[in-house]
Amino acid sequence: MSVAAKVVDAAGDVLRRARLIPRVWIGAVCAGVLIVLLPLFFPLDGKPHADWLQFLGRFHPLLVHLPIGLIVLLPLLEFAGTRRLSLREAAGFVLQVALATCVAAIVFGLLLAYGSGEIGTTVTRHMRGGIVLAIELLLCLSVRRSWLAGQQSRSYFILLGVVLITLAWTAHHGGSLTHGSDYLTRYMPPTLKRFLAPSAVSSHPNSFFARHINTVLDTKCVACHGTNKEQGGLRLDSYESLMAGGKDGIVITPRNPDGSLLLKKVTLPPTDPHFMPAEGRAPLTPDEIARIRAWVLQGASPDASSVPGIFIAEDHEEAPPPVGDYSALMGEIRQMQQSQGAKLVPVSANPSDGLILRTTDVAASFDDAQLANFQRFAPFIVEAELGRTAVTDAGVETLSQFKSLRALHLEGTAISGRTLARLSSLSQLTYLNLSATKVTSDTVAPLKSIPNLRHVYLFNTPAEPASAAEIDLRSTQ
Amino acid sequence: MKQHPLCSDCEEKVTPMDLPIPSGLKKEWSVCESRRQFLGRAGKVLGWASLATLFGEASFRHVTFASGNNSQAGFGGNNLGLPHFAPKAKRAIYLFMSGAPPQVDLFDYKPNLAAQFDKDMPASVRGNQQLTGMTAGQARFPVAPAHWPFSQHGQTGTWISDLLPYTARMVDDLTLIKSTNTDAINHEPAIMLMNTGNMNSGKPCLGAWLAYGLGSMNDNLPTFVVLQTKTNPKENNQPVSSRLWSSGFLSSEFAGVGLRSVGDPVLYLQDPAGVDRDVRRKMLDAVEEINRQTLAEVGDPETNSRIAQYEMAFRMQSSVPELTDLSKEPESTWELYGVEAKEPGTFAYNCLLARRMAERRVRFTQIYKRGWDVHDNVVGNLPVLCHETDLGCYALVTDLKRRGLLDDTLVIWAGEFGRTVYSQGGLSQENYGRDHHPRCFTTWMTGAGVRPGVTFGETDDYSYNVVKDPVHVRDFNATILHCLGIDHNKFTYEFQGLHQKLTSPVAAFVVQGILA
Repeated sequence: MSVAAKVVDAAGDVLRRARLIPRVWIGAVCAGVLIVLLPLFFPLDGKPHADWLQFLGRFHPLLVHLPIGLIVLLPLLEFAGTRRLSLREAAGFVLQVALATCVAAIVFGLLLAYGSGEIGTTVTRHMRGGIVLAIELLLCLSVRRSWLAGQQSRSYFILLGVVLITLAWTAHHGGSLTHGSDYLTRYMPPTLKRFLAPSAVSSHPNSFFARHINTVLDTKCVACHGTNKEQGGLRLDSYESLMAGGKDGIVITPRNPDGSLLLKKVTLPPTDPHFMPAEGRAPLTPDEIARIRAWVLQGASPDASSVPGIFIAEDHEEAPPPVGDYSALMGEIRQMQQSQGAKLVPVSANPSDGLILRTTDVAASFDDAQLANFQRFAPFIVEAELGRTAVTDAGVETLSQFKSLRALHLEGTAISGRTLARLSSLSQLTYLNLSATKVTSDTVAPLKSIPNLRHVYLFNTPAEPASAAEIDLRSTQ
Repeated sequence: MKQHPLCSDCEEKVTPMDLPIPSGLKKEWSVCESRRQFLGRAGKVLGWASLATLFGEASFRHVTFASGNNSQAGFGGNNLGLPHFAPKAKRAIYLFMSGAPPQVDLFDYKPNLAAQFDKDMPASVRGNQQLTGMTAGQARFPVAPAHWPFSQHGQTGTWISDLLPYTARMVDDLTLIKSTNTDAINHEPAIMLMNTGNMNSGKPCLGAWLAYGLGSMNDNLPTFVVLQTKTNPKENNQPVSSRLWSSGFLSSEFAGVGLRSVGDPVLYLQDPAGVDRDVRRKMLDAVEEINRQTLAEVGDPETNSRIAQYEMAFRMQSSVPELTDLSKEPESTWELYGVEAKEPGTFAYNCLLARRMAERRVRFTQIYKRGWDVHDNVVGNLPVLCHETDLGCYALVTDLKRRGLLDDTLVIWAGEFGRTVYSQGGLSQENYGRDHHPRCFTTWMTGAGVRPGVTFGETDDYSYNVVKDPVHVRDFNATILHCLGIDHNKFTYEFQGLHQKLTSPVAAFVVQGILA
């Protein structure tokens, strides 16, 4: 509010001064009006126009960085100018050049949009941002005179702040046009991403489409086929619009990847005039094409959670958190390795990968009491190979203290499953082998509360599902 | 006695007894040293001294940790620092199709070839390739399309020959590599290259490298087991020799242990009549004591292997009978593998043993199936070969999967090269032959570390040259090592002045496109 009020104040000041120095102000106002009216000369109607317009327009990205650099330089010069007067003098010149190049960039930008027939909200916003920026620079130029004369000391700096904000906003939209709207967020760490509310694009956020097709379209296609622009009448920013197709008809034919226009276009030779993505934008990688092809072949479903033949690592594994450093216990671990009993074996040369509890050689005699002896190593044990041991239900309770466990082998043991519910404290557990035990479907039911558990093996148990030996708890949840 | 003219030292002139040395020393001398002993020992000393300089420290380095590797130690017990990173696969099972299966008839679907029947393969496809002596003299190279139809399988819609109905069922789990290629065109060099990374013998094979680098997970069974499938006399069986599972320059305890398919799986494992286990134990202890003395005396690393092998054999006396006792297998096993698996030596039986060894944490199992060398009568032989192996492969993968073992086991299926698209000898609608072909062949992997349902690499219209994503044998081996947590470039062994490795000497690359 106060900023706006101050801008109004500043405008009032400007008007007051306009009476005093009419010639400068008349020029400024005329220039402002001309800039505002520029879009009327080049109405964005979504149709491509003469090629020479586009030829010139394509210098817009080249030109546009000049005013950006100058505008960012301006406040620096002004601040530094408080110490060194020569810098303050330079600032005046920089401001003038910034304004001139800004206007030129607007003209070229308009030529580009008008010539190529691009439309969309982002295009419009980017254009308006540029025009507002030019007007603000004009104001700056005028207010600066009175600032130099010792009046309106604050309004000039407030105006500079507004200019910077406008610049950032406009430049962001410009970036979205060239690089796609998720350019900044694409490789953001997942934790940060979650913080920024997830982009709700699909009613099935975990579907293969939402995770792997939509993301490809979003980065590679939506810049021209989305809300920003709608080239060829085609929008690819949602499942519905993708399936609806564009002016050339439908682009995805379920179960027929070779007959799908979208796949045809992206697999043309890059020199072909119909190759997509057009205009030298980054082509789809073979991996991305393979994903789309497999998804179409399977039926282009909006909600299927996986597509056979396509394995995407990040779906399956988030890197497990490293365990602590067990180097201090290494002497003891080595001794154990040389003795006859159960052993702790490093997963790899990297200590943070943890330890494996291996009982193969002494399985028959390894019981709950011996398991309890390993409790002090528990934070470092990521895998417990307890198959065919004498471990019982009581041992399972001990195991609930092994918080770092990712894989637990209990096949061929005497456990009944009575205490499996205790394992719900193992948040890292992804693999649990209960084959050839006495567990029943009732006793394994509590396992559904283990968040990361993906593979449960119930072969040869009363709990074995009739159809598949392995149940995927994820999909049954 | 007359002195020999060439003998420079006088035989009778001076003895130690005449020398002015302490009498105690003279006594000792008279007890232990005859001339023969002295010369023999002196010769050995010279030999050892020269060997030691030849090998540098390397030959003695074993002595300190040869046994350490073979314990379960991981890096805790050796200095190798292995695995380099957390492995996806802890063990591997390698189904080796010796003789080279014809990729054109089984996996590499070329529908366009039907129209090319008996037409000459364009010379440009073959280029300047040198052929084997068996077809180099042929006047023409008529295209022989696959005799059997292909059909699409699984949700990936992968084309598989109708000869492999069971493999087709699990195609969504497989990683097919259609662009595997090798340097050798004849069996022995090719099979050596596939197994040891080098066409010449003397290098350790994949299994030996793994045994050396990763060590055992089960002290009672060998780290590396080789199973040979009984040969079918009607097939063209190329020899499979122990060179293929040799430990090369590594200590011989890392060599593969072959389990026999007939009679006792391991010969002379049973105690002889009249010797019970205690007596055997005492005898072994005594032998070990002697061996340790020898080791201290001469420092031959092979002595250490010998000690380890005696101990392993003793433990195997109980573990091997338990391993091969199939009486407790549930009925579901026979439903899956077929009753053929009850007969020792069949491919299905070996697959079942491989699963049992995976359960018992044997690090590396290699099953050899010979007879794929179909130079003629493809139509007669190939269905038999497929019938012998197809179900076993499927049963093994399915069994590992349902028991939760495929999560940390890598299964590999490969031959040593491919076979030509053109017919060797006469081509008719009824029959044809196929010659060796190193430029492309199809292999598959499945399980831990690789991406299921993927077909990697492409060949040209004649299944002759790789046109996309070539996978050389070295890349193939580098990828296997990667799945087991090993960086093939860092896993080296100093020998003959080189940092020897499985994938040397030409640069090899892990095939990222098939990794999970």
